[in-house]
Amino acid sequence: MAEKLKLALYWAATCGGCEVAVLDLNEKILDLAAVADIYLWPVAMDFKYKDVEAWPEKFIDVCLFNGAIRNSEGEHMAHLLREKSKVLVAFGSCSCFGGIPGLANVANATQVMNRVYQETWSTDNRDNVRPQTSVRVAEGELTLPAFYDTVRALNQVVDVDYYLPGCPPVPERIWEVVGAIVSGTLPPKGATVGVTEKTVCEECTRRKEGKIIRAFVRPHQVMADKERCLLEQGLICMGPATRGGCNARCVSVGMPCRGCYGPTDRVSDQGAKMLSAISSILEATDEPAIKKSLDSIVDPLGTFYRFTLPTSLLHRARVERSK
Amino acid sequence: MSRVTIDPITRLEGHGKIEIFLNDEGEVENAYLQIPELRGFERFCEGRPVEELPRIVPRICGV
Repeated sequence: MAEKLKLALYWAATCGGCEVAVLDLNEKILDLAAVADIYLWPVAMDFKYKDVEAWPEKFIDVCLFNGAIRNSEGEHMAHLLREKSKVLVAFGSCSCFGGIPGLANVANATQVMNRVYQETWSTDNRDNVRPQTSVRVAEGELTLPAFYDTVRALNQVVDVDYYLPGCPPVPERIWEVVGAIVSGTLPPKGATVGVTEKTVCEECTRRKEGKIIRAFVRPHQVMADKERCLLEQGLICMGPATRGGCNARCVSVGMPCRGCYGPTDRVSDQGAKMLSAISSILEATDEPAIKKSLDSIVDPLGTFYRFTLPTSLLHRARVERSK
Repeated sequence: MSRVTIDPITRLEGHGKIEIFLNDEGEVENAYLQIPELRGFERFCEGRPVEELPRIVPRICGV
């Protein structure tokens, strides 16, 4: 019998939903166990960082790395797992693009810390205590990772072999990729896997009538038709700017796409692509009318770059560095 | 005094580290639980439309 694959799963700045997506393979997890041994999986198995450090170089065949790089611990683990893995896969939107945690690139580390530990309505921190990278207690020294100003995707820290996006990736797609790993039929390095060639818009079964719109509406302002294209009803939907693979999962239950699969291979900036898509359905022709229509978009940054701010052309907001 | 470090804590959602300090008799003198992770939802949820929050805050914990 051929030697089993050595598999590792790790999470950096993440919610754990990608890990649960793997568990959502359900009974197929047994098929996975038949062909692969899992050496690292914090959500489901016990291990310690020193175990990982003790592995020889390239000990792991495939590492599925989810989560964005938010602090020095995430960065350290990205380098460590790159060194220990033959194939490193950016698994899920946080790892591929920065994801939802990447929205914190609107602020710097100090601003985030101040909000979290001082300024929220429910915070009572009279001594103005903040997490420190090193603190002396009676018994010795305690350390914490350094919290960075900027959230990064995995490939902004280490070399990445494959990208498997989604928030979270759809289990059926994960299974296809596992199949490709086991059979050795992965595409060339650098490819995005577990996706389709289409956009979400092309996978969506809602009826498109080629209608143009004057302004965008928010969900409470309209009773949306269940059959028609949401964008043509004025509800912002990222479908035209988003890579397919999810089977238009959100859109099919009435939720506009927010772009978690990221842009297609031909697009480098998902938000710019969306602006281009919007310009083709807006009725406005002169500048004041265009401005009025675009002003009806309540939150352009959080809508167009919901999952991809760190890897977009913008990368982050311009704010001064934390001291 | 000696120290036992459990890093990371596993089989839960999120990141955690425990430092246990033992006295000369080998008994626990003190223990610290540390959370080495922060993403800052409190900051980046600001400015997002309220109807979008049910699609953002589930990513606090997806387990």
